[in-house]
Amino acid sequence: MAVKTMEEGKARSGGSLLGALKRYSFVLVFLAIYIVYAVVSGGLTVGATMNIFRHSAVIGIIAVGMGLICLTGDIDLSVGSMLAFVAGFSVVVFNQTQGSIPLTLLFALCLGALCGLLNGVLVGVVEMPSFIVTLATMLIFRSLSQYECQHLPSELIGNGSSVYRMSSTLPSYQAIYQFGNGRLPGGMPIVGLILLLVIIVFVYLLTSTKFGKKVYAVGSNARAARLAGISVPLMRTLVFVIAGALIGLAAFLWIAMNASSDPATTGKSYEMYAIAAVVLGGISMSGGRGKLLGVLFGAMSYTVIDKVIIALKMDSLINDTIKGVILILVILIQIMGPKLKDRFGKSKAGASE
Amino acid sequence: MELLGMRDIHKSFSGVPVLRGVSLSVQEGEVHALLGENGAGKSTLMNILTGAYACDSGTITFAGNDITNASIKQVEDAGIAFVHQELNLFNDLLAYENIFLGQELTNRFGSLDKGKMISQAHDLFTRLGVDIDPCALVDDLKPSEKQLLEISRALFRNARLLILDEPTTALNTEEVEHLFSIVRGLRKGGTSFIFISHKMPEIFELCDSYTILRNGSFIKSGRIADTTPAEATSLMVGASMEQRGSWQPRELGDEVLRLEGYSGNGFRNVDLSVRRGEVIGLTGLKGCGSSELMQTLFGVMRPTGGVASISGTKLHGGSIHEAMRAGVAMLPADRKENSVVPDMSLLENMCLSEQVLSAKSLPISRSREVERFDHYKRLLGIKAPSPDANINSLSGGNQQKVFIARWLNTDASVLLLDNPTQGIDVGAKAEIYRLILGLAEAGKTGLINTLEIPELKEVADTCYVFYEGEVVKALPHDQIDERTVMLYSTNSLATA
Repeated sequence: MAVKTMEEGKARSGGSLLGALKRYSFVLVFLAIYIVYAVVSGGLTVGATMNIFRHSAVIGIIAVGMGLICLTGDIDLSVGSMLAFVAGFSVVVFNQTQGSIPLTLLFALCLGALCGLLNGVLVGVVEMPSFIVTLATMLIFRSLSQYECQHLPSELIGNGSSVYRMSSTLPSYQAIYQFGNGRLPGGMPIVGLILLLVIIVFVYLLTSTKFGKKVYAVGSNARAARLAGISVPLMRTLVFVIAGALIGLAAFLWIAMNASSDPATTGKSYEMYAIAAVVLGGISMSGGRGKLLGVLFGAMSYTVIDKVIIALKMDSLINDTIKGVILILVILIQIMGPKLKDRFGKSKAGASE
Repeated sequence: MELLGMRDIHKSFSGVPVLRGVSLSVQEGEVHALLGENGAGKSTLMNILTGAYACDSGTITFAGNDITNASIKQVEDAGIAFVHQELNLFNDLLAYENIFLGQELTNRFGSLDKGKMISQAHDLFTRLGVDIDPCALVDDLKPSEKQLLEISRALFRNARLLILDEPTTALNTEEVEHLFSIVRGLRKGGTSFIFISHKMPEIFELCDSYTILRNGSFIKSGRIADTTPAEATSLMVGASMEQRGSWQPRELGDEVLRLEGYSGNGFRNVDLSVRRGEVIGLTGLKGCGSSELMQTLFGVMRPTGGVASISGTKLHGGSIHEAMRAGVAMLPADRKENSVVPDMSLLENMCLSEQVLSAKSLPISRSREVERFDHYKRLLGIKAPSPDANINSLSGGNQQKVFIARWLNTDASVLLLDNPTQGIDVGAKAEIYRLILGLAEAGKTGLINTLEIPELKEVADTCYVFYEGEVVKALPHDQIDERTVMLYSTNSLATA
């Protein structure tokens, strides 16, 4: 054990090029996939590249929340259902407030934070396992959004049947749709810019503030963190609340982009994509280690895979197979690489004796 | 006849030599004491023997075969078994299942032959004189029974050499006697033992021969019959013992910490008054309540009665944050579990607690933190390459200094140090204690909980001896000595 930690220490203090490559391997993975995309689509336009940001916005913001939770050593399986739940009711609020965009956004953020608070209190204060808690709330949020969609008066859900639809007759409908689908000069989608802003804020929070240090400390050694004075229950609850608010933001972007939310399919399997993006981004699932910046690249890598499949005109049902295989490959390289090197290095040392 | 021969073993960890040409020879059918202070290199030597570490140079022979740098499995198969301090048993399995694990007996249909295993385990226990029900859940066994179970398991697997690493720490006198009688019986049958212990009376009662290590070097080996406890002790500690003494009477300030009838989980009715600049030692046997007192004072556990006040302000208790704001700091025991944040750098580890107190202003000023780091690095003599090095790249003593810096950085006035020299080499120990005296000189107040009385003698102005949760005696500095403290901590005076 002592030997292992010493090796880890050495590996981390190594400022070599190899060390840097290892620490930013998520960039390499993204670039590799991106090059494949460039090749199969026969050269890339700026618009196509900017589209990656558009399609990464929702999952990227969710993955940031997931990354935060994973850094404390927990997990949130409810993010996809929570997205559908918050998106559905935000549509209702939009329709009910005569299309008030600020109120809709505020509601989405608050409902998301509230859902996160439910998860967070059960995990952080009651100390139930996060896997179980969020498994349960995953079922609850999905079911509630589907149930309410059937039982609310149909004018509240924009006269849709089994879909929450924003009422297109409201004056601000165009404005919110424009927000969700518009582009800035230069082609950057507005939602993509929001993703970048979220990433910048959270990278700053995690690397350069006391809050960030506490998140890492709790995930790295909760006992030591507690004895250093950190309120571990508070921190564990807080990351769930923040993740919930981020999902609220993602839900707002979702309805702005789609003008509707289907409670059965919105955010389906998003918990898995978010976790995959977090892992691909190099954050340790046991907590305490990894960079939030990696999450951006992890999420974008998956968006590009979608686009590769479309460009190759493959059946989209093969999508998850490829995503799964890539996840296994990347982690395989990360885990087997040092082991192979160790074995190779050892046999070499043995031969020289 | 020689069973085990380790010759001229060298081992370094990241350039720091921990073993410098150590030799160890164990004869067949003898109990061999391996002596040395914490950090002398005993554990490293044993880890090399059992295959956990590879040695840099040297040879190991066992029963005539060369087993230098063999794997853990090969060493086990050769007949060497390590009975660890932290026992290697599966608590959720039954006693006999532990014995047969990996070598289960099956009937001709391939299913487990439980009846046969239980009866064989029963026979084994009877033969050894061990009174354990083969079908008992290991979790329900007493520590002494677990130890005997592990010895039984090793013998079942034909071990010829057993390493007993401080086997008596968790046992009472009767259980120790029982263990020793079993060891003596096995010795008669030709089994050999390496016995690692700090308790001289036990060693002189049980062992045939000894090897002494100090600071990674071989010092002496010979027959127990030819030496005395006093000689062995002075060989173990070397000359450094005399040089250490830097305690001087100091001017003490006003009262800083006051406990009245303070009670909690594991201790009761403690009255204590500590003045600014004073260094107080708390000691007693394992489980005497002194560590619990510290944890309660720091807010880890809730007090059940009495009053604790810092500079006149009462503590409500049960909140670490409250204690920290009042200027109390605690360096917990078991550094690896309770202090080290393994994924963080030295700087981050050091600043963590200060950041908790100043959490209201969110951003971190790296330049100011590095400045503080450099200040404490000089003050405490931390040997570290850079503030960004990983905490695990430092030696135990230097890690501990980083954690002392963690608390000094919060401007704490009362330092609770729970077993601060645990797992630290001899040189660094003396340094830590010099630091504590230096800090006391500068007006900090220190409470030290340790079982190592010679160390307390170096630093403590007063020593409070605990027995079963209560303070039985307060000894002023010049009355602290091993014998007196032992008398009170075992409560021998009351029973005599």
